[in-house]
Amino acid sequence: MSDQSSHSRGTAPDPVIAARGLTRRYGATAVVDAIDFDIARGEVFGLLGPNGAGKTTTILMMLGLTEISSGEVNVLGFNPAREPLKVKRRVGYLPDAVGFYDQLTATENLAYTAKLMGLARAERARLIEAALSRVGLADVASKRVATFSRGMRQRLGLAEIIMKRAEIAILDEPTSGLDPQATLEFLGLIEELKAEGVTVLLSSHMLDQVQRICDRVALFKAGRIVLMGAVPELAVKVLGAGFVVEVEAEGPGIARRLAMIPGVTQVETLAADRFRMTAERDVRPDAARAVVAGDGALRRLSVDEPSLEAIYARYFQTEATGDVRHAA
Amino acid sequence: MRREGSPFQGLSTVFVKELADHISSIRMLMLEFLVVVTAMAALYEAISTLRQNTAEDPFLLLRLFTIDRAPLPSFVAILGFLIPLMAIGLGFDAVNGEHNRRTLSRILAQPIYRDALLMGKFLAALATIGISLAALWLLVIGLGLIFLGVPPGGEEIARSLVFLIVAIFYAGVWLSLAMLLSIVFRSAATAALVSLGIWLFLTVLWPMLAPAVAQAIAPADPRYALLGLNDPATAVWTQELLRLSPNDLFGEAMLAVLSPTTRTLGPVFLDQLRGAVMGAPLPFGESIMIAWPQTVGLVAGTIILFAFSYVLFQRQEVRA
Amino acid sequence: MRALDAARLAFALVLLGPAAHAAEAVHDIKGLYLMTDYPAVTVRPGTTTNISLRLQDYGLAPERYQLSVAGVPNGWTATLLGGGQPVGAAMPAPDGSVALQLRLDVPAGNDLAPHTLTVKAEGQGTTAELPIAVSLAKELPAKLSVKSTLPSLRGSPKSNFDYTLSIKNDSGRNLVASFSAEAPANFETSFTEAYGTQELSSIPIDAGQSKDIKLKVRPPTTIDAGHFPVKVNVKAEDASASTELALDVVGEPQLQISGRDGLLSARAVAGKQSSIPIVVTNSGTAPAENITLAGTAPSGWKVTFEPATIERLVPGKDSEVQALLTPSDKSLAGDYQATIRATSRGESASSQFRITVGTSTVWGMAGAGVIGIALLLMLGAVARFGRR
Repeated sequence: MSDQSSHSRGTAPDPVIAARGLTRRYGATAVVDAIDFDIARGEVFGLLGPNGAGKTTTILMMLGLTEISSGEVNVLGFNPAREPLKVKRRVGYLPDAVGFYDQLTATENLAYTAKLMGLARAERARLIEAALSRVGLADVASKRVATFSRGMRQRLGLAEIIMKRAEIAILDEPTSGLDPQATLEFLGLIEELKAEGVTVLLSSHMLDQVQRICDRVALFKAGRIVLMGAVPELAVKVLGAGFVVEVEAEGPGIARRLAMIPGVTQVETLAADRFRMTAERDVRPDAARAVVAGDGALRRLSVDEPSLEAIYARYFQTEATGDVRHAA
Repeated sequence: MRREGSPFQGLSTVFVKELADHISSIRMLMLEFLVVVTAMAALYEAISTLRQNTAEDPFLLLRLFTIDRAPLPSFVAILGFLIPLMAIGLGFDAVNGEHNRRTLSRILAQPIYRDALLMGKFLAALATIGISLAALWLLVIGLGLIFLGVPPGGEEIARSLVFLIVAIFYAGVWLSLAMLLSIVFRSAATAALVSLGIWLFLTVLWPMLAPAVAQAIAPADPRYALLGLNDPATAVWTQELLRLSPNDLFGEAMLAVLSPTTRTLGPVFLDQLRGAVMGAPLPFGESIMIAWPQTVGLVAGTIILFAFSYVLFQRQEVRA
Repeated sequence: MRALDAARLAFALVLLGPAAHAAEAVHDIKGLYLMTDYPAVTVRPGTTTNISLRLQDYGLAPERYQLSVAGVPNGWTATLLGGGQPVGAAMPAPDGSVALQLRLDVPAGNDLAPHTLTVKAEGQGTTAELPIAVSLAKELPAKLSVKSTLPSLRGSPKSNFDYTLSIKNDSGRNLVASFSAEAPANFETSFTEAYGTQELSSIPIDAGQSKDIKLKVRPPTTIDAGHFPVKVNVKAEDASASTELALDVVGEPQLQISGRDGLLSARAVAGKQSSIPIVVTNSGTAPAENITLAGTAPSGWKVTFEPATIERLVPGKDSEVQALLTPSDKSLAGDYQATIRATSRGESASSQFRITVGTSTVWGMAGAGVIGIALLLMLGAVARFGRR
């Protein structure tokens, strides 16, 4: 999916965020338990995991908003435990279910943030206007936020990040509670940010969205990152292979022929004319060639990209049986 | 681990924003209305009483603050009752409101520390009350000028300014308490209810309970009762217990400052009066000294309650 | 028995009075008489003497009598006065008399030879003559004398100087003596009865008797010490007497108390000794010795002085003493009264001071300390939990 898939897990050439042994304990229980990760500049990084797995705590530690029990994290070269103001000046954060001051207008809400940022008055007005038009709220700029829908609020939150000209945007469950249309629009805005070179850290439990826009993901479970990497890589690792190709063809010995294709690990015969191949790579051209070569009639050739959902389900399933534990 | 930057960065921004919010809020408008209407009623009574009794009084202006005619209490007594209400009204949802609106983590993700947020909120609310009280103070002076026609003397102005300062700290105690409760309770309604409960307890119930508690601690000697006198030990206990209420501290401080002939706030023994020149007003400095312990109580109470809320808020998790 | 009764009656008649007796006697005599009480007098040369005469008519018809004086020596002037005017004739009523006076102006001279002047009253057939022997003497015995038993008194300017004077009438007549005193300016003098308070200017004294009067002299209180003479003059008709009295005024201290610069108010702090400067002034005329200071203050207060006594204070000077005042620690703030007294022998002075008791600033500092501790607590909280 992206060029970063070739990097080994956990490291990036130009990390804007680097965590080493990052831990947050409440009493004896570790909410975040010694995690390591690197996030490269311009990357869209997904944090996955069930509620309470430590995603938000990790984010808060990156912003210096909660104490770090041990380990360290480095954001844009700054230690948020020591220099949180510098970090927060450069990082935009859209909290889970962001709120605004209802009695103030969209512009006023952003102006408050801009003043806290210490922006000059002229710059402030220009940046706010630009940010609001970027997220499509220019025509409601002087309306009170009380009248805004959930989607508009999320977009206003994003406008705040844009206005801040943040180098890193941290979005905590940005699409939860949005209708499909609003979700699509919002994801479009995230991609625009990525196109501008903003590093995006996205926490979500909506796996299909994460899969769609994230370059890499980290899977959280009970305070640990249990899996990290690009989705195809994870598929190979968890599912054993990355690609599932379904072939619908008629002809003799097709299953045998398909099995002989290099890289195919398994061929299932689903029906007389339907087969499912599991392969390490996209083997559709080879499969087509094999069918044609065997005088078969190729009716349909489809590939299932490795699904995060499948990976997620499989991983937690194996985990439940007490199988391999992938320490982060 | 020392963090960089000033904890007060962004304080002024928070202060200005909160002040603007308070001043334009309907809640504040209602509180102001309530205070002004009752205060005006008390002032009207005071002025009409003073105009009937045209006794020579070097502190005529101060009498405006303290004079009462049934059924209305004096201006100062009304403020003693209503200032807590204003402070609670401004403070009870200071922090939990931010939590509930889900604005807290967004604001704290800006380059400021929490210190600035809490202090900004506190100072803005205190400034709001200060502005209201100053306006009320000007109103009293203005009405005094118009209806009594006596220009206030320098000492009267000084004493009434002390009244203003003490009143602001009195508000500060209740504001700190309300903010503390807004940190402790996630629900604004709970915080408001608890604040109002404490207020009612301290202003209405405690003056009734304190003598009973004092009786229990230091039972009155029956010999005093036979003479129809109060046992001084019991009286002292009653007063000390009453002083646990900021309301009482405010009332006592105001008595000393606004009635210049007040020579002490405690029980007086007869031999203390021997040789005393009665009815002579105390010098300004001496009145301040009498009101000083009460003022210290209010100031220290404000600071300690605020420090307590501050520590709680700093230790609180940002996430809802 | 009868004779004894008559004698008794006669005695009673004698007792009844000379008027009755005289009235009886009048009937025995008949004719014109020129009479005087003292037909032989001694006169000092260079003086004027009046001799009272009476022209008495017993049982004669009214008639004009020509008056004349015979035998007047050369240089003497003898004038007959009646009713204050020189007269030449008199006309007494039957059984009546006319009072006349013979004024003799005797010139000063060394001739002390006695003379006899004859006063004559001549009518139609009736004549009366009265020879008066006038002898001359250089000194006459005093007619009035005044004497003081204690002529020199000593006292302070504030005391009363009471002199008892005894005036004796040595003349043969009853006199009304009037008196006056010559004293230095601004001295008050007054004469009173010896045992009474009524002020007098004159007093009647019978012949040969003496009377006591009292002279009260009050010098001005501001007078300096010194010796002052007072002369008392007593006059009665032509007699006069005088005596010299003396006031020996000794100086007296007079004390005054005030605060420094005349302030009678001071500030003090409850339970704490404060020192109030007290100025003792001697505005009197003599040094005050051994002045002791004392104070009356409300109960529970302590008042001492540093120094406790002033050895000597010269008139016109002042001396500063520190009053060390410790109000009771239970004192209320505000004003109290305290009296401070300075006593030197009989002289004393006192002043009321208004002490404004202040609350100890220690409590003010303690209050500031409490606020300081609260602020420190806040700072500690910021240091420990700040910047999150």
